[in-house]
Formats: sequence, structure tokens, C-alpha cells
Amino acid sequence: MKSGGLNPFFKIIFYAILIIWGLSVLYPLLWTLLDALKNNDQFFRKMPWSLPDLPLLWSNFSYVWSEFSFDKYFMNSVVVTVGSTLLGLFLAASTAYVLARYPFKGSNVLYLIYIASMMIPFSLALIPLFFLLNSMNLTNSSLGLILVYASTLIAFGIFVLVGFFKSLPKELEEAAAIDGASYFGIFFRVMLPLSQPGLITVGIVNVLNIWNEYIIGTILVNDPDHYTLPVGIAMMQAQMQYRTEWGPLFAGLLITMVPVLVVYMFFQRQIANGITAGAIK
Amino acid sequence: MKLGTAKWQRNLFIATFILPTFLFFCLFTIYPVIQAMYYSLFDWSGSSDNKTFIGFDNFKEMFHDPIIWNAIGNDYFLVAGKIIGIMIIATFFAVALTRFGFKLSNFFRSIFFIPNVISVVVIGVLWNFIYNPQIGFLNSFLSLFTKDKVDITWLGFTSHTIWMLLPPAIWAGIGFYMILLIAAIQGIPDSYYEASSLEGAGQWAQFKHITLPLIWEQMKVSILNIMMTTLNGSFVIVMIMTNGGPDNSTQVMGSYLYQMAFTQYHFGYGAAIGVLILVASLITTLILQRLMRQETVEIS
Repeated sequence: MKSGGLNPFFKIIFYAILIIWGLSVLYPLLWTLLDALKNNDQFFRKMPWSLPDLPLLWSNFSYVWSEFSFDKYFMNSVVVTVGSTLLGLFLAASTAYVLARYPFKGSNVLYLIYIASMMIPFSLALIPLFFLLNSMNLTNSSLGLILVYASTLIAFGIFVLVGFFKSLPKELEEAAAIDGASYFGIFFRVMLPLSQPGLITVGIVNVLNIWNEYIIGTILVNDPDHYTLPVGIAMMQAQMQYRTEWGPLFAGLLITMVPVLVVYMFFQRQIANGITAGAIK
Repeated sequence: MKLGTAKWQRNLFIATFILPTFLFFCLFTIYPVIQAMYYSLFDWSGSSDNKTFIGFDNFKEMFHDPIIWNAIGNDYFLVAGKIIGIMIIATFFAVALTRFGFKLSNFFRSIFFIPNVISVVVIGVLWNFIYNPQIGFLNSFLSLFTKDKVDITWLGFTSHTIWMLLPPAIWAGIGFYMILLIAAIQGIPDSYYEASSLEGAGQWAQFKHITLPLIWEQMKVSILNIMMTTLNGSFVIVMIMTNGGPDNSTQVMGSYLYQMAFTQYHFGYGAAIGVLILVASLITTLILQRLMRQETVEIS
């Protein structure tokens, strides 16, 4: 009768598999933290899984923060992520609202263009994007990254938000219209606040993607003052051939990871929603 | 007259909400894609003086370029390896965490997704450390079981290094597809399972006759998604872990595009590789869809 019924022997084996996989995910995180507190000597003389010697080398964090400019990279990542998310959300939401509520001649075609663009491999656009931004004097600037990243959000955002706006009751808009609100007033005062869950889903998925993005970041920026964290980490790893400073490298990895892990902890549900929405195209 | 102004207001509203986004999108997404196809017809080193129209010569050159053939092979090796590895493991986890009634299911689900929120760069650097010959985890771990210290340069063999890129790629991909499949399984009515239990169906029979056919659509989407994201994006982990080496043996189309364009300044050839990636993913999408359509018929 019970649908969860499973032979105890298999149950133990399956549990073991789940636990092993769980450890394979959690251990590297713990390992990163432990290694961020070691000095070089400990890397070469001890096992990789040995605990760091006391006193713990917390100075690795301040070292990588100031000496390897992770303070700058961090700020650049914050600016670029927040900026592109807000801009992309606004561009996507405005179009999605019209497509959902005020269909016009050609609106279906427009919607299909946006959706179809999600099938185009992004690597195709890399070279022209570099020259485009170069001609606009926007390479080596956070603004350039914000514009390009915002554009990568638009199609997915429109896709999710059109569905979202369609699901909102029409009566609210009608009531607002009777009260004399303009089209813009209805959108900004009524619909945008109501669509908050959809906006958050799209926004969070974008924040994770952009915070972690490497390839556009490295193509459009080669001035260390404008590196984002992933670009900074990649550069730091490349330098490690000449100056082996493993502890600080792990500290840098942790600085890059922790913000998204925190975001993930708080927004798990929205992230899962975003994934399921995005994949059912 | 009044109707006219109302209509005008409405059109103004539609235009102000549609046009900026569309222009922005055209500039940063559509224009670059078209531009890439145009560039692919040129021999071009990046400065406008050295731009010569050569038609399809870049594509002809590819036929004689052993590196691009190797890259295509590597791309499809990763596609096949990831599809097999991710689909088997993700399906197992999705079923285990929904149908087996494990306690802590939600806990495991949250944990398994973590690699998907971490940057590929971070994942690449971490796995470089696992593979590091002197101070790495893998050699030290294997040394526990051997008399002599294991000293394998995991990322140093031209013939096998591409294999070493599969574990991190699979490890990093599981959570996403697991979540997709869990959503699909949760959409199956409980009554199906209850009815089949009454008839004495075990877990395996239920999986084969209920779960699998009913999540097959979602699995097809996942397989296509793995294929597209791999052809389009696996070069990031390649660039971080091996930079296409040793001796171009782990080059994939994307990393070769990057290298051709941004380190060797053959932008025309690089753009042509981009077009190749587009064509490859379109053709593979069609082929996979065809193959999987037949598969559906077999199952049902």
C-alpha cells in the first residue's frame, strides 16, 4: 500500500549514495574554507584534507582583499550585477506587460522573436559584441558590462513575466482605470507591485548568472580596475604559476562564492521556480 | 475626437513600453548575431584596414584544420558524456527524493543544487586542485591505498585529459536537471501510484511504467538543454582548467573561437567558428528531437 515502500537493503544503499553525493558537494566548500586558512608550507607538507594549523591564517582574507584587489572586484561585481538586473528587469517587464495585456498587430511575432533568441548560442555574438562595445567606448567599464548583461536577461524575463502578467486578475486594472489612473499609473502603481513574485524570480536567476559570469567579463574588460570577481579569480589562478600563494587563492574563491550561497539560502524557492519556468519553453 | 485621443494615448503607451526594449535588444543581441555571420566571410585581424572579403574560405579552411575537427569531437564527447552521466544520476536523485519517502529529502535537494549557484570559474579552480599532481586531493587520496606516492598529472595527457573534464561538468550540472525532473514527478497524480500499488507493483515497476513515461517530455527537454548549453558554454571550464591543452587536445569549439579571435586575432575565422556552433546546435537539436520522438512511441 505505501508508495514509499522500499526494500531495507536498497534503502540503506540509496541512503549511502545520497550521503556520498551530499558530501561531494559540501566537502569542497568546507575544504575551501580550511585551505583559505593555511600557509603554503601546510599545502606542501600535509594532506589536502588536514586541518589548518593554529593560529588560523585569517590574514589570507585581508591579504587577497587588498593585495589582489578583491575589494575592487567585489564592488565591480556588485555594481554590475545590481545594475544589469534592475535595467534588464525594467526592460523585460515593460514589454511583457504590453504583450500580455495590450496585444497589437505583430505582438505575437515580437514575442516569438524574443523566445527564439534563447535558442541562439551566445558564443556566436562574442566577437561582434567586443567590437560594438569598443566602438561605443564601453569596453573596460562597468556600464558596458551592465548593458550587455541586461540584454541577456530580456528574453528570459519577457518569457516568464508575460505568463505572470496574464495570470493577474484584470479587474484590478479596470478598477484603477475607472479611478482615473493612466496606463503608466496602472503599470507602476498596480501591476508592478503585484508582479513582485515574478520579478523576484527573474531577478534572482539573473543575479546568480551575472555574479558568476566569466566569458563576457573577460572579453569586455582587460583593465584590472574593472574586473569582476570571476575574472579576478581566473587571473589570480593564472598568476599562481609564478607566485604560489594557495591560501589567498582559496580565500578569494570563498569571497566569490559566499554571496551567491547566501542569496541561494534565502531564495531557494524562487530559484527553483525560475528554473522550471525557464526550461519549459 | 475623444476616442481618437484615447487611442492615441494607448498607442503612445504601447510604443514607449515596446520600443526601448526592442531597440536595446536589437543592438546588443540581434545585431551582434547578424554581424557574426557577416564577419565569418572575412579574413580579418581586427583592424579595419586588414579586412578582406573571402566568401566561404574560412569554412573551407576548417575542413583542413585538424584542431577544429578535434574540437568538434571533444564537444560531442562532452555532450554525450554529460547527457548520459547527468540524466542517469539526476533521474535517480529525482526519483529517490520524491518516490522513496526518504526523510531529509528537502535537505538533500537543497544541498545537491549548490554547485549550480557557484561560478564555473570557481568550480574549475576547485577541480584543478583536486587534480593537482603535487598538492592535489586525488593523488593524496589514492596514495592512501598504494605503497608509493601516486604522482599522476591528471590534466597532462593529450589522449585522456578530455575525460577529466567530465566529472566536474557532470557534478556541476546534476542539481539543475534534478530540480526539473522533481517538478515533473510531483506533477504526476498520486492516484496513479496508489492504483498500481494496489495491484502489487513495486518501486521498479512503478518507475518503469508510471514515472518514466510521464516525465519523458521533461527528460527530452533536459537532454536538449544539456546539448545546447554544452556546445555553447563548456569552453569556460575548458579555459579555466586546461586552456585547451595539452597540445590542443582538450580544445572545444568555443575555446578555439576565443583563442582564434582574442589571442591570435583571426577574428574572421573565430566568427566562422561561432557560425559553426550555431549550425551544429541547430542540426543536433533536429536530430535529437527526431530520435527521441521515435523513442516515445516505443515506450508508450
